[in-house]
Amino acid sequence: MEGTLLKIEDITKSFGGLHAVDGVSIDVNAESIVGLVGPNGSGKTTLFNVIFGLQKADHGHVYFNNKRIDHLAPHRVFTRGMVNSFQFPRLFYQLTTLDNMLLAARGHRGDSLINSLFLRKGWQYQEDELTQKALEILELLELAHLTLAPAGELSGGQRKLLEIGRALMADPVLLLLDEPAAGVNPVLGRKIFEKIEHFRQRGMSFFIIEHRLEILTEFADWIYVMDKGKVVIEGEPEKVVNSPVFYNVYMGER
Amino acid sequence: MDPLIYILDIIVFIGIFAIVALSLNLEYGFTGLGNFGKVAFFLIGAYTYALLIEAGIHFIPCIIIAALVAGLIGSLISLPALRLREDYLAIVTLAFGEIIRIVVKAEHGLAYGVWGMTVPPAIFWQGASFRMTLVAHIGLVFVCLLVCFIFVQLVTNSPYGRVIRAIREDEVAAATFGKSRLKYKAQVFAMGSAIAGIGGALFAQYIGFIEPYMFMPMLTFTVWIMVLVGGPANNWGTLVGATLVQLFSRGAKIMKDYLVVPFDPTDLQYILLGLLIIFILLYRPGGIFKERPVKTKALERVSQWKERS
Repeated sequence: MEGTLLKIEDITKSFGGLHAVDGVSIDVNAESIVGLVGPNGSGKTTLFNVIFGLQKADHGHVYFNNKRIDHLAPHRVFTRGMVNSFQFPRLFYQLTTLDNMLLAARGHRGDSLINSLFLRKGWQYQEDELTQKALEILELLELAHLTLAPAGELSGGQRKLLEIGRALMADPVLLLLDEPAAGVNPVLGRKIFEKIEHFRQRGMSFFIIEHRLEILTEFADWIYVMDKGKVVIEGEPEKVVNSPVFYNVYMGER
Repeated sequence: MDPLIYILDIIVFIGIFAIVALSLNLEYGFTGLGNFGKVAFFLIGAYTYALLIEAGIHFIPCIIIAALVAGLIGSLISLPALRLREDYLAIVTLAFGEIIRIVVKAEHGLAYGVWGMTVPPAIFWQGASFRMTLVAHIGLVFVCLLVCFIFVQLVTNSPYGRVIRAIREDEVAAATFGKSRLKYKAQVFAMGSAIAGIGGALFAQYIGFIEPYMFMPMLTFTVWIMVLVGGPANNWGTLVGATLVQLFSRGAKIMKDYLVVPFDPTDLQYILLGLLIIFILLYRPGGIFKERPVKTKALERVSQWKERS
């Protein structure tokens, strides 16, 4: 397919006898928002972990920008331009909001020991620019007043926002978001998706797990539904949500 | 004994232990590596230094080489050990410390095993009194301490320092943002081992005689107490912690001669240290000094921006 950014081919992942992900194939097009829904335990998060290299697939391939990435460690997948955000924010809680943001920046020269010690001029300028960028994103997410607060002092919703802000800081080509609107109030949930749409228009792509269907269907271009490790239906949001297959997945067979 | 000499002696030991505690602070305080084999690298530094001095090399290159050898062995050990989870890393490093000591004890050709090694004095001059050589030692130790302190401060207050702190907080999240945890941990382990090696070299130089029994695991634990008391991830705190614990254990040693207790008074030191650590962990788990945010240009920038808005 033309413009396919992420191509997942026949991924299988088992834990003992449990097939968490069972032969899943998914395409994510460039500059699109693709949703992934399904009941709890249907294998969505496991699939994300496999894509990002946090877990190894038993079988199948993942292609990103037409290159195989399923054998790469997470930090290598990151350098290819993909960022994963966690369902339950995994911030660096003792570090400040600002440090959390700066850590996500791609290609910071000061990240290497030699540069940090001996080429201070080189990264200081870069750090200045990155701080500016971090502040802009934090302002957009309405976190700017907490820039120097430790991330551990943030509220649940703010943590969620910082988790997303951190992902945006990395300028990803593709962002994997695991339930960005879960656990935040409905207004904020919508706001998050509006920001996502805003960044999509700037050329980012999103692959999103989300249970808040009323928001997801409004913003997503395409939705995949998983059940018991398999993709059971895919299509445009309206069509999928109104299909009997979708009803069966959530309500059980009649 | 001349009380002045006793005080000078304490100062030398504070300096040496502050260096070793700084290295543990870099590993544990900033990076979260529970290294319980600190004494091994202290030993390697001490023996390397002693052997080189015996070979007739000037003491300054000896200290540098001792640091390099300890750092190199540290990075070799780190390759298998760092793949392990925290608690297993603690066990592996603890075992490594004991293995090194027992190997040195069993070895007779090079370092004379259990008989120990006399380290030829490197700092002396014609007509120097004992007190004056002591002062010279203090000078050397504190120059080394200053160098190590500035080094650790620079490393931890840089983007690199931010990355290692992030690895301490959450390895997986750090990897998610492109930081190779193994690379960073191995580098920190090598740096920490090298600094501990400097401490060992100065120890050998000062004491003038080393034997395997000087490098018991208790030394590692003493250094841990220093870091925990002073406050992990705060280098100033580590200096204070090293000073306090050194004074505390010296005080306990003196006290045992004047106290009547229903147990072996030589144990008093360890009992009091144990109580101290329980007290610190219960009532001030972050140590005396709290961790400070990473101090770089970014911090300045934000304060400027705050003023403007």
